[in-house]
Parts: sequence; structure tokens; C-alpha cells
Amino acid sequence: MSTATSLHRRRKTTNSLMMTLCLVAAGIGLAWLALILGALLYKGLAGLSVSVFTEMTPPPGDAGGLLNAIYGSVVMTVIAVIVGTPIGVLAGTYMAEYGRFSRLTTIVRFINDILLSAPSIIIGLFVYELLVRPMGHFSALAGSVALAILVIPVVVRTTEDMLNLVPNALREAGTAIGAPRWVVIKSVAYRAALSGIVTGILLSIARISGETAPLLFTALNNQFWSSNLNAPMASLPVTIFQFALSPYEEWQQLAWTGALIITLTVLALSIVARSLTGRREDK
Amino acid sequence: MSQMLSPDMTIAAEAAAKVKIEVKNLNFYYGQSKALKDITLSLPERSVTAFIGPSGCGKSTLLRVFNRIYELYPNQTAEGQVLLDGQNVLDRSQDLNLLRTKIGMVFQKPTPFPMSIYENIAFGIRLYEKLSKSEMDGRVEQALKRAALWTEVKDKLSASGLSLSGGQQQRLCIARTVAVKPEVILLDEPASALDPLSTAKIEELIDELQADYTIVIVTHNMQQAARVSKQTAFMYLGELVEFDRTEKIFTSPREKRTQDYITGRFG
Repeated sequence: MSTATSLHRRRKTTNSLMMTLCLVAAGIGLAWLALILGALLYKGLAGLSVSVFTEMTPPPGDAGGLLNAIYGSVVMTVIAVIVGTPIGVLAGTYMAEYGRFSRLTTIVRFINDILLSAPSIIIGLFVYELLVRPMGHFSALAGSVALAILVIPVVVRTTEDMLNLVPNALREAGTAIGAPRWVVIKSVAYRAALSGIVTGILLSIARISGETAPLLFTALNNQFWSSNLNAPMASLPVTIFQFALSPYEEWQQLAWTGALIITLTVLALSIVARSLTGRREDK
Repeated sequence: MSQMLSPDMTIAAEAAAKVKIEVKNLNFYYGQSKALKDITLSLPERSVTAFIGPSGCGKSTLLRVFNRIYELYPNQTAEGQVLLDGQNVLDRSQDLNLLRTKIGMVFQKPTPFPMSIYENIAFGIRLYEKLSKSEMDGRVEQALKRAALWTEVKDKLSASGLSLSGGQQQRLCIARTVAVKPEVILLDEPASALDPLSTAKIEELIDELQADYTIVIVTHNMQQAARVSKQTAFMYLGELVEFDRTEKIFTSPREKRTQDYITGRFG
């Protein structure tokens, strides 16, 4: 009887000790996030005004906005997603559906995982060699390609994972009713996995919208408005990088504001992605 | 020719029914391991046949050969013949999708497609028939009535198939199977995931459907086999031990192993 009580007491003590440690660890993690977000909001909001969205990046010492950088980021992100998503979804579909039991799938998955964790600056250098050097100049096109290469592994992985979560019974049911394989994939498997696949695409957008390194070697930057894909183009991350390192106060302020804009965009995307997955789990 | 006296032939003769599916010397392999050993039996048309036996005896495997659904997975091979109206479904040249419109299948767990109730039914029909909206409405209604689900869902046809209860989902799956007008319906433990009330409904349904379809049901519930089927096959360790009229199997089986199983001595 007494042994049981002492065992019980010891378990309770260990439990509360571990609980405290976990809480402290969680607190430390969250504190940094809160500090970063707090600083970002405090410094970024100060410079947030309509002119940020209507004026070009200014020369040193002048007032201005981030319009060309925002435009460049949107254009290159959109192109990257348009190019990268179909490739990623199709590759993921092959791996989860047609080639589920093949060796090729194992190899592709392994290589894709390497690509997924490859430092983005390597991708930048790769595209520099692939496009920028042969073309002889930096371009928005090269920047888009670099971002697309970052999109592909994320989309491949989530598409494969989400399709693998679709129960085989559902595929069997589709097949048993006489549907050819591609119809089963299109009308049954994709539908069952849709919110997961869309979430993967949104997360890949969130990932590339903050990337600086792959753009430094490809799209470079542009002080002026440019919608020419064959010429250097400004982007938010590279502009932030350049302005934050500068000694000019106006530029530094714009860097803070740009950082805030990216963060809020990524936050919004994450919330949309979360609510999509959440809805799926409700069913 | 001792084959002439084999029980399945007797049954076919007794029932004076046309043979719908004839299995001849069927062997089945999962990789190297043999799951079905030289199975031979004939299933009469418009009648319910039950496959019973302990887990792993091969009853589901046999069912999955009939519509070749096993081919979704690698390393599964069948040898021998399965004749549907005299045509070997195991032939390489057999069009699998067309075969599967003739042989419908309902699974253990309800598997509604992730779409509306209406679309769940229309999906299969649309694959092989081009119908006007009103014709399609008629077919959907007819199929749901056939599966005794119409009154429960007629006011929410656009609701997700996943919103139904388990028993309703299973009847939706039966409706979906019936909708494409198959000749044979394979039921793989269709009621094992359902409560007794839903089970009773499914069994009633099977009883009604046998007027128009050849039905094969795999079940681990012996009372169910006794209730719904006209003939029963008892399988054990990949072999067909005994195949006879259901009442014969459950009252005076020829084989001791059958006797032991139905009296609950093993399995």
C-alpha cells in the first residue's frame, strides 16, 4: 500500500517537472517570435502608407514606395507557381498513383527530398549558370525559373503525401464501377485530396515569397519600374536586403515596411492553408 | 468421370438455373505464396451464393478474382479460368473496364466518393452512357429506390455522400453499383461494419436484388450466410472444402471440417 502511494507521488512529481520544462521550452520559442513580430509591427507600421503601394523605390535620401518591388515579387511568384505547380502535381501523381510500387518512385522521392532541403542560394547559382550566363544578363525570367525550382519539390511532396492518404478502398470502389484509371485519379483521388494539394501549393508560395538568395543571382534588382521579363526586375526580398544594409533612413524605413508586407502575406496564406486542411478534417 | 458427380454440378442441375459464373481450376498467388488452391465451382444465375470460412481462407481473394480488382496491386497472379457466361474473364484480351461494368462490387467499409449523393450515382452511369438531365434524374431515383434509400435522401441529393450514416453510405454504394446495370454483384462482407438494424436492411435488400442479379456474398457471419444465400461454399486454407445448398451445408454437411466450422469448433 505504501509502495503504491510513493510510486504514485513520484510519478506526479516527474509529471509536473516535465510539464514545467515543456512549458518553458514552448515559452522561449514563442517569445522570440513575439519579439520579432512586435519589432516588425512597430517599425513597419510606422512607414505603412498609400505611397508605399503607389510610388517607385526612391533614390537615396528621397521619399518613395515599393510599387516596383511588390509588382516584381507578384509577377515572379505567379510565373513560378504557374510553371512549378503542374510539374509538381503531375510528378506527385505519378509517384502516388501510377508508380506507387516502382523503384523509380523511391529514387525520385529521395532526390526530391534532397532538392527540398537544398539551400536556395545553390538553386540561384544553378539558374545563373543555366540562364543568366548564356543570356548575358540578369532577368525576371531567370528569377521566375529559380523560384519555380523551389516550388516543385514542395508540391511534389505534398501531392504524393496527400494522394497516399486517400484510402485504397476508394480507388478500388472507383475501379470496381468500371472507371478507367485516369478517371479514378481525376474524379475520386484528386477530389479526396484536393484541399491537401491546394495547401501544399499555398505553402510553396509562402516559401518562395520570402526567398532572397535565388533572386540575387537571377533577377537581380531594379531601381525603376520594369515589366520586361527579359530584364532585371525588382522584388521585395532583394529590395529589403539592399535597403536594410544602406545607411539612408528612408531606405531603412521602406525595408521594415516591405518586411511587414511579406510577413502579413505569408501569414494570410498560412491561415488560408490551415483553414482548408481544417475543413477536410471536419468531414 | 467422377467430375460429373461434383456437388456444384448437382446444385446447378437441381436449381435448373443457368450457370452464370464458372470457376475452373483456379489458383491464386500473392507473390510466391499460394492463396487459392485449384478452386472449381459454378454459380447459378439470379441467386445468392455465400462464401464462408475463417479469416485468411481465401474467400475474399476468390471474390476479387471475379472482377480482377486484384490487378491494382503488383505480384498478385491468378491461373485457371473464370467463365462469365462462358467467356474467360482472366483472358489477357478482356477489357477490364467493360468487365467491371458487368460485375459490380460493394466493399466491407462503405466507400462513398467524395461528391454529392446524386453525383455518387451519376458518376458510374456517366462513364458509359450519355443521358439527358431528366433521364439521369430518373436513373438516379430508380437506383436509390432499388437500394431502399430514396425516401431517406430524396430531399438532400446535393448533400455530400459522406454526410450519411454508415448504413446509409453502404446502401448508397449498393445503389451506385446497381445504377450501372451490372449482371453480377459481389459483396465483400458488406454488413460487417454496420449495426444490426442496418445489417437487417442490407440483408432484406440482397433478398430483393436476387430476382435480377447474380449475387456473391463473402461473410464471416454464418447466420447471415444461412439467412441470405441459396448455396454456400465453405473454404479453408485456400481450398474449397464444400459447396452445396445452404440448408444442406448448415444441417448435414458432408465434410467433417465444415461440420466443425459451422458448429463453432474452430474459426
